[in-house]
Amino acid sequence: MQVTLIDLATSSVAAALAAETPAAAASGTPGAGARLMLIVPVLTLLGTVLCGLCAALRVKSKLPAWTTVALLAGSFAAVAATFSRGEGVLSPVIAHGFEWISIAWGGWGSGGLGHGITANFSFYVDSLTLLWMLFVTGLATLIALYASEYMSHDAGTGYCRFFAGFNLFVFSMSCLVMADNLVLLYLGWEGVGLCSYLLIGYFYKKPSAVAAAKKAFIVNRIGDLGLALGIFLIYVQFGSVEYATVFEAARPYIDSFRSGDFAAIPAAVQLIPILLMVGAFGKSAQLPLYVWLPDAMEGPTPVSALIHAATMVTAGVYLIARTYPLFLCSEHALPVVAWVGTLTALLAATIGMAQFDIKRIMAYSTVSQLGYMFAGLGALTSVGAAFHVLTHAFFKALLFLCCGAVMHGFAGQLDLRRLSGLIRVPGWKVVGVGMLIGCANLAGFPFTAGFFSKDMILAEAFVTPGMAPIGWLLLLTAGLTAYYTFRVFFRVFVGPVSFEPGDEVHSHAHDEAHTHGHSSDHANTHDQAPAHASTAHGHFHPHAPGWAINTVLVILSGLSIAAAGLYFMGPHGGWVASMIHHSSADLPAAIGEHPSHGSFLGMDPHKVMYYVSAVVGFAGIAAAFILHYAGRTSAATSRRADTLSDRLGVIARAARAKWYVDEVYDYLIRTPLWVLSHVFHLVDKLIVDGLVDLFGWLPRAFGRSIRPSQSGVLHGYAVGMAGGLAVILLIVLLVAW
Amino acid sequence: MTIADRLSFLWPEIILFGATCGVMMLGLSKHRSTRKLCAPVSGIALIAAGVAAWLTTPGPDTVTAQTGQLLFPGLALYGKGMIAVVGVLMLLLVAGTVDRADEEHIAARRARFNPLSSNRAEFYSFFLFSLTGLMLCAGADDLIWLFLALELTSLPTYIMVTMSGASAGSWMAWRNKSQEAGVKYFFLGALGAAVFLYGFALIYGGTGSTNLNEISDHIAHQGLNSLTMTGLLLALAGLGFKVAAVPMHFYTADVYEGAAAPVSAFLAFTPKTAGFLGIILLCGCMGWNYPPHGLAEAPSAAGLWSPDPAGNSLPEPIRLMLWVIAALTMTVGNVLAILQNSIKRLLAYSSIAHSGYMLVGVMVGPGAADGPFGKNGVAAVLFYLFCYGVMNLGAFAVVAVLERTPGRLADAQPGEVHEIESIDELRGLCRTRPLLGWVMAICSLSLLGLPPLVGFFAKAPLFTSAISAGEITLVVVLGINSAIAAYYYLRLVRCVMLEDPDPASPPTNESPFGSRRLAGVLSAAGVLVLAVGGNAVMRTAHHAAAYRAADATDARHADLHRPDPSPGQARAATDAP
Repeated sequence: MQVTLIDLATSSVAAALAAETPAAAASGTPGAGARLMLIVPVLTLLGTVLCGLCAALRVKSKLPAWTTVALLAGSFAAVAATFSRGEGVLSPVIAHGFEWISIAWGGWGSGGLGHGITANFSFYVDSLTLLWMLFVTGLATLIALYASEYMSHDAGTGYCRFFAGFNLFVFSMSCLVMADNLVLLYLGWEGVGLCSYLLIGYFYKKPSAVAAAKKAFIVNRIGDLGLALGIFLIYVQFGSVEYATVFEAARPYIDSFRSGDFAAIPAAVQLIPILLMVGAFGKSAQLPLYVWLPDAMEGPTPVSALIHAATMVTAGVYLIARTYPLFLCSEHALPVVAWVGTLTALLAATIGMAQFDIKRIMAYSTVSQLGYMFAGLGALTSVGAAFHVLTHAFFKALLFLCCGAVMHGFAGQLDLRRLSGLIRVPGWKVVGVGMLIGCANLAGFPFTAGFFSKDMILAEAFVTPGMAPIGWLLLLTAGLTAYYTFRVFFRVFVGPVSFEPGDEVHSHAHDEAHTHGHSSDHANTHDQAPAHASTAHGHFHPHAPGWAINTVLVILSGLSIAAAGLYFMGPHGGWVASMIHHSSADLPAAIGEHPSHGSFLGMDPHKVMYYVSAVVGFAGIAAAFILHYAGRTSAATSRRADTLSDRLGVIARAARAKWYVDEVYDYLIRTPLWVLSHVFHLVDKLIVDGLVDLFGWLPRAFGRSIRPSQSGVLHGYAVGMAGGLAVILLIVLLVAW
Repeated sequence: MTIADRLSFLWPEIILFGATCGVMMLGLSKHRSTRKLCAPVSGIALIAAGVAAWLTTPGPDTVTAQTGQLLFPGLALYGKGMIAVVGVLMLLLVAGTVDRADEEHIAARRARFNPLSSNRAEFYSFFLFSLTGLMLCAGADDLIWLFLALELTSLPTYIMVTMSGASAGSWMAWRNKSQEAGVKYFFLGALGAAVFLYGFALIYGGTGSTNLNEISDHIAHQGLNSLTMTGLLLALAGLGFKVAAVPMHFYTADVYEGAAAPVSAFLAFTPKTAGFLGIILLCGCMGWNYPPHGLAEAPSAAGLWSPDPAGNSLPEPIRLMLWVIAALTMTVGNVLAILQNSIKRLLAYSSIAHSGYMLVGVMVGPGAADGPFGKNGVAAVLFYLFCYGVMNLGAFAVVAVLERTPGRLADAQPGEVHEIESIDELRGLCRTRPLLGWVMAICSLSLLGLPPLVGFFAKAPLFTSAISAGEITLVVVLGINSAIAAYYYLRLVRCVMLEDPDPASPPTNESPFGSRRLAGVLSAAGVLVLAVGGNAVMRTAHHAAAYRAADATDARHADLHRPDPSPGQARAATDAP
């Protein structure tokens, strides 16, 4: 089984590499046109500086937001222009920025492998890069526009800080995605991690936000260690960190894989993808490192939408897609990726089913959908994975922004037991419809973009030999996803109209929103507040989203729907396939013509998967309808669902408590670490400090012994100079004359 | 070559010299506003000199009658450009070093302008004189020229040290300290100059020429005889005084401490650069193409050290001496810096240590002709000099900006200021004066060589070039010393960033001369900018280090036949008249 899998993989990669070789040779001469891509980091860095300046000048207006939107729109235009000119689309182009790191050592005149390291600030622009950059810059522009309204309660330094971080994030992300070498990728990787930390901890006076930021940072550190070790090992093995060189150097290994000669591949080379994978699991929140992402929802919602749903968390998928040739050098790498992704998808979906905080449900669904992408990569459908990344970016950003609008309007209320029938509250139609479109995509409702991209992964899982169990698990997860997605929709947006505002615990900042930020803007809304709301809940009245939020929601809804059209643009997987086809992740070109299809219950998965997954999705939606809509009379309870969860007893409670994963980690990792750290502390104090003190003492003692020579006496110095000179000349005379 | 030809390459120096004369007059004017023109005129002159260097000094690629004769055709352009840039930064820093109390008295109409007691004119003109000498060093092609240029660089600094203490007004102890420093510096400097002048004389005796190019040819064809070797050893050791290398380093701490901080910053760059330019030129005379250590059969039967086309090392005695001096210099500098509590002494010892690092690069040499930057020790030194100039200036600028509040001193007089002394006075600077604190932190970390900052990118090529040359032991010494240096630089960083202000130390205020703060901020910004965009400077340094080695292909057969002049036709052609 495994051998055929590899054979299939290697042959296609060899073909891809063969296609790429002339391109790589051509890319040796920097493409002049793709230099337009260099504008992206310049503009975003400029944005960071300008927002910093705004903070220094204590700008109170929305200036930083408009600056950011304009600069990000410019970035998007640059990427779109590069794409429309076709630069890098068919073959990789290198846009040379400037020499960044160029160190050489070793013997005289020799300059081969292992005698230097070059990492330029240059961009490797191919179709994979363009695909990622198009949606990163595009979504960043839209979400910045959304945030201009969403963050307005914090006008002043906080507002500037937010947008400075936002710009810095896009800068780092563009370095990560466009880098032509792994060192620059690592810079971007750490940069997005830093921005994520800064923006999760945006409400830095709130302890839970600070804890979440720290958790995200520390968990990511584990992954980053793997990535760093992977890069080191790549350098050691291949003598370079530049993609073009590394992929070229990896070819013999892929060839020997093709012949099934595993022994010919050094263990170190097989270890590389495992290490890279650890980095990807950390950044993309996969088992066992997924725990930071749900907590990361402490950050402002635009951040959750952009960084923790649409873009940054797909960096792991990007990393694997980019270094796909290296993953084919290992016997176990891709199956491990597939299994980890599948298990993560299933686990996160089960947790998501039992949560009540709608933003958290979306967070778990992000983890789960990322699991799908990894499963897709592992099941050799990088097209499916990339397509799902793209569609997920649109619909998940849409879902988060809808949740954010709810949070914004209802004073931080996110509990689905306290919100109901919002679509019928005046001014909330756009949000409700947006939510419906997002949910339909996420649930895989037929003919939505999410439906097609998920199908592609599911079908390939059944097609790829040895991956059938993964296909079944993913199919099950698809059903669960449909259920928990529509659970949110049926509870919050339809049903009887009833809601109560959030409290400070959820959002201290939103209190201020009502005291100063919005009081003037929304005075009208307040006056015309719906009567039922004020009678039911004291003086609270939700303020409906303004034009910026609504515009963005409408555009994103449109994009989510339109993304389905991409599937029909071109044969075999549509536009995304044609993009992936010319990149380093190009593998599935061969999958379509794969002679030995796996089967789904004796049928061709490519043909039946549409119907199967549609049925599964409908089943999930129906379950949600029955349990959470039909016969529900209040926001807080739904009789059938409560009865069911009572029946399930322990299982339901455990799912609600996130399967106690955090507690288990606490017990298994934190406690032993705590004990160990105290032991080490003792060892450090008793033994190491002594040694360090000794080594610290040596130079000091040496210094003290020669200090008297610095007496300050003139003739002493003169004698010292003459004597020292004499001694040195004597040494030279005796030793080397 | 006529004198007019030579002068046409000296526009930067001529401009600086003209400005020197002008400044000397302006500073003696009765009108305060005219006197204040000294600094701006100096600045304009430096910028003009930089532009003139850009326009008139030929680069490494243009082979003219002039550059065809130089050992390092690109050195003059790089050197002059670097001197102009760092010179402008230093000029910002020295504002208000002299005559501050007097000027305040005059402004308050308590005193009248007295040309005899005013130092402003001399101070700025000596500042420019010294930089003129430094630029002349960069373009030197003759031993006598080199000697005069070195002394033109140094002599004004002796006086600047002495004068700088006068800024403390009537506070006699301070003035005495700077005067003591000046006298010490002068006498020891004379001793150092005597040593390298003696060396120069012996080189002339051994080769029969003072022209560096002719010396180089002579050595390439006939090998190094004992006289020349002795001369080179003495000359290099003597130049060690300029760069503050062991055993010529004794003066450093006392002089840096005695001088006002801006002048100390000036000393840490100007004579050091002059010394390194001289050392590079002298090493270039003999070339880095002798049989490597261990394979040397030298001295050959005739008592000569002969170049070998396959060689990649300095002649063994020179290599050994530079090895010992480099290792000792960085070690002594670093271990003594650990013990210091005075911020200026700490920076002085660290300056010694940095000289030790750079000597490694000189010893390693430029490597293969078309080798990469990382294997070119001379390029590494040239780049390091520039980076060191910038980052060290930032650290000194913080010291120069901070001054003790005069009110605390019992006999305080108006206009009387007192520089901070102890490291403890920098405590909590990031909190009390964030700008200065960050300048100090950034510059210290860069001096330490912490990776994202330029200090790292400057130090790394020293390591890689030494590894390329096989000097592994010295690289280990360099590494250990970098670790020792981390101790006191991190102590500075901890002081400014992590500690609380010391309640016991006298309160400080900021110098009224905003340009000093500007110098610090520009230096810190330079450290950050160079860290990202330093490659342009690196590439320039790499070009500047292009070494036109004398033809040694037939050196082995030198006694069989003198080579015909065909290999060096450009040279022969210019020699003809």
